[in-house]
Amino acid sequence: MSKLKYVGQSLKRKDGPDKVSGRAVYTQDIKLPGTLIGRVLRSPHPHARILKIDPSKALALPGVKGVITAKDTIGVKHGFVETPRYPADQDVLAIDKVTHVGEEIAAVAAIDDITAQRALELIEVEYEILPGVFDAETAMQPGAPEIRPTHPKVKEDLVNIAGKTETEWGDVEKGFAEADYIREDRFENQLRTHGYLEPQVTLAHWEGDKLNVWTSSMGTFIKRAKLSRTLGLPYSQVRIHKTYVGGTFGGKIDLYSHEYCAARLSMLTGRPVRITANREEIFSAYRHSQTLTIEIKTGVRKDGTILAQRFRIINNAGAHRGSGVVVIFLAWGFIMGPYRIPNLKYEGYAVYTNHTTRAPQRGHGAPKVRFAVESHLDMIAEHLGIDPITIRLKNARGPWEQLPNNDNTHEAGLIDCIKMVSQKSAFLDKWRQARPPADPESPLRRGIGIGVTSYMSGTLIYPNGSGVIVKLNDDGSVIVLTGALDVGQGAETVLCQIVAEELAVGMDDIKLITSDTDTTPQDIGAWISGMTYVTGNATRQAATHAREKILKVASEEMGVPEEDLGIEDKSVFNLHDPQQRMSYAQVFSASVAKHRGDTIIGEGFWRTMRDEPTHPSLATTKGRWTENYAFSAQVAEVEVDIETGEARLIKAYTVHDCGFPVNPGLIKGQVDGQVSMALGQAFMEEVMTKNGYTLNPNWLDYRMPLIHNMAGSEDFEVITEQYRIGQPYRTKEVGEGLVSGVLAGIANAIYDATGVRLTSAPFTPEKILAGLRKLEREKARELA
Amino acid sequence: MRDATAKARPAPRLITLTINGEVREVMVRPRIMLLEVIRDHVGLTGTKDGCESGTCGACTVLLNGKPVLSCITLAVECDGKTVETVESLSEGGKLGDLQEAFLDQGATQCGFCTPGILMSAKALLKNNPKPSLPEIKKALEGNLCRCTGYNAIVDAILQVSDQGVAPLMK
Repeated sequence: MSKLKYVGQSLKRKDGPDKVSGRAVYTQDIKLPGTLIGRVLRSPHPHARILKIDPSKALALPGVKGVITAKDTIGVKHGFVETPRYPADQDVLAIDKVTHVGEEIAAVAAIDDITAQRALELIEVEYEILPGVFDAETAMQPGAPEIRPTHPKVKEDLVNIAGKTETEWGDVEKGFAEADYIREDRFENQLRTHGYLEPQVTLAHWEGDKLNVWTSSMGTFIKRAKLSRTLGLPYSQVRIHKTYVGGTFGGKIDLYSHEYCAARLSMLTGRPVRITANREEIFSAYRHSQTLTIEIKTGVRKDGTILAQRFRIINNAGAHRGSGVVVIFLAWGFIMGPYRIPNLKYEGYAVYTNHTTRAPQRGHGAPKVRFAVESHLDMIAEHLGIDPITIRLKNARGPWEQLPNNDNTHEAGLIDCIKMVSQKSAFLDKWRQARPPADPESPLRRGIGIGVTSYMSGTLIYPNGSGVIVKLNDDGSVIVLTGALDVGQGAETVLCQIVAEELAVGMDDIKLITSDTDTTPQDIGAWISGMTYVTGNATRQAATHAREKILKVASEEMGVPEEDLGIEDKSVFNLHDPQQRMSYAQVFSASVAKHRGDTIIGEGFWRTMRDEPTHPSLATTKGRWTENYAFSAQVAEVEVDIETGEARLIKAYTVHDCGFPVNPGLIKGQVDGQVSMALGQAFMEEVMTKNGYTLNPNWLDYRMPLIHNMAGSEDFEVITEQYRIGQPYRTKEVGEGLVSGVLAGIANAIYDATGVRLTSAPFTPEKILAGLRKLEREKARELA
Repeated sequence: MRDATAKARPAPRLITLTINGEVREVMVRPRIMLLEVIRDHVGLTGTKDGCESGTCGACTVLLNGKPVLSCITLAVECDGKTVETVESLSEGGKLGDLQEAFLDQGATQCGFCTPGILMSAKALLKNNPKPSLPEIKKALEGNLCRCTGYNAIVDAILQVSDQGVAPLMK
């Protein structure tokens, strides 16, 4: 195997100089002359019928250039999922009723923000208030206020069911009958927001026959598709331009009403229109994560082997289907990935409530599922007298296991991950020590806990595949055209590393043109954990294609067979006589001169699971989900103050199987960021609501990790795959699956430190103190 | 057409700012914040607008050498003062040591918090060339970063202040 110079190295970010100098252009930085400011009128009620909308006074206000309501739309609905079973259920502007506080009703464009705000206040809306329902389990019960009809395929006597996922294999009842121990638990999670620093913002400019859009997103091609359809424009009339994106974490995929409104208002006024959501809007009207209630029943043998599991998951999916029906599918995937479950029955319900619509969020349900499963497993292990490492090794999936959906674990490194994280963290030496610090008077207690996860690495969802073009310049440098979008994860850097490796050019010899729907090939986008695998392989193929052309021309010119040629430093050389060489610039000239003007352009494309016609069924889980499962085991060490109940993460150890690291430094950044997100989720973050109204719609009252909450983070890789020049490769996900193990590990570590078992996140001081008081009462009762 | 609106608004004022060494005269209404002057009137868009309520730190600039949240600083209060933004950190297109250290440690990901964090760090290092970890945390406590978990940012500041942290990236 040849030695790799670029792939596998911690190379600095390609977009780094732009970002540290202030040159990086984000959507909010794009300025167009004559731009109007747009604002959105939002529902003040969680559930109400709209009886009348009268925008006439707003339209009459000087400085107002346009007002739109549902009447100005073509009535095409949209949704995160748009399939025959789950058709779109969301209007770009509410038509006859509103179903959550902040739902979009109208939008205005005016010469400045003050005028736009005044115009909103002049739009007259008459409502008939309807009863609201906010708790998912209440909303399911017959007699609850109906937000939308229950899905026609769900035959149970339940209301407000947006969708259901149901699957099973083996014989669950037989599995439970054979079990030595059966345990049932229930877990709950809080509503949490993404916390992207750059607000939602869109600038749209209709030029008579072309809609130009700049928007803070996670994938320009999906945005183009949804905007085109809701506006009734051919795709070719909509162009989404590249901008840098200031954080997404799941919260900027799918279509948002403000994007439609900016576009429609620009079409009406003929002027550019910018709409920026303020923080209060983002907190109280935009999409957050989903709160899952997870009921688990597990039967095990005495030795800890899982025999059967039954899951019932209820997702408070908010006012529209959103990604609610995806989460109840994915939850199954996150359950069945890491451990062998010979008999499983799974049911997941997505329930409409009068909360804001929900979106994916880094991990898309995995942190919640793994927190539940890993806590539950530790409780089982304790009952059986088995340590947390042993019970996980007992059940962990190994390499080449065929999964019930016909996926395969391939070169799964999970067992090594568990072993290595145990060793790196000295887990068994620290576990159950409830290690008080040196000072015996101190109220601080330390604990350690583990969590295990597997995660998909790309799946099939529009636009399903990525194309890449690699073209040579006549000076021998390279231009890469890719639809991939760098949202901070390092897409541009990773793709450059692959091109540099395949073409033997320096990182600085490569220029990228990215994520522009008119000039770059279609791309899957930065939201299904498949960029390095799917777009990366397309890039590798395009670079290989260009290299083949280079070698063919050089072979002819040099009179040396292609197999005797090597490449280095933008030139081709004779392996047997390294002095004989041609620069890429010379090759380019020769190619143009003698190959009918061929300017050496390489094409590449990639689609995951190429033989699968479509994505798996969200309702039945049938069909393949992913061809690359990433695996990880993570350990959290926490410190709990038993007087105040305050807990904090001291250190996280992450051992993961990402195949092989293309850029270990970038991966470390992903790991550290996910550790931070996990500790935020564990200890502090919660969007508080009452009757659908957000009580803490700002960063003073919604606590997100500050630098003071920073935790130690060490990461290690279990290498299971290889990169070979010119060959397809497998990489596995590393950008969102690593929140889960830390969150689960923290819950288990709090128990280790204090004996308090928390089954609902976040793990606040109140809950920990209540747990400690309960333990004291139980102890007193025992003594009595 | 705009008379009615204009009358309702307080009169604008001419203020003078020295931004990154350049003297600028700007007409502003009293409600205008420094951030809007920097981004929209002067056109320096490196400084970011994250929350408009002084809670995220993305808009941090130096005013007479001290870090301030420009989204909640009235422009009229800055009359006659000097302002430094992220654009001042590079000279002639060449990145400064602090910026290079951020690249060396992978301390920028999405990059949106980066300009504000760089300015907070610059203010810290100017007065305290070898800050301790608690001092770094104190100086950056008003800056949110959602991507990095702050670890790489701390390492970048330790690296540039020559406190034994080697570059992670090459």
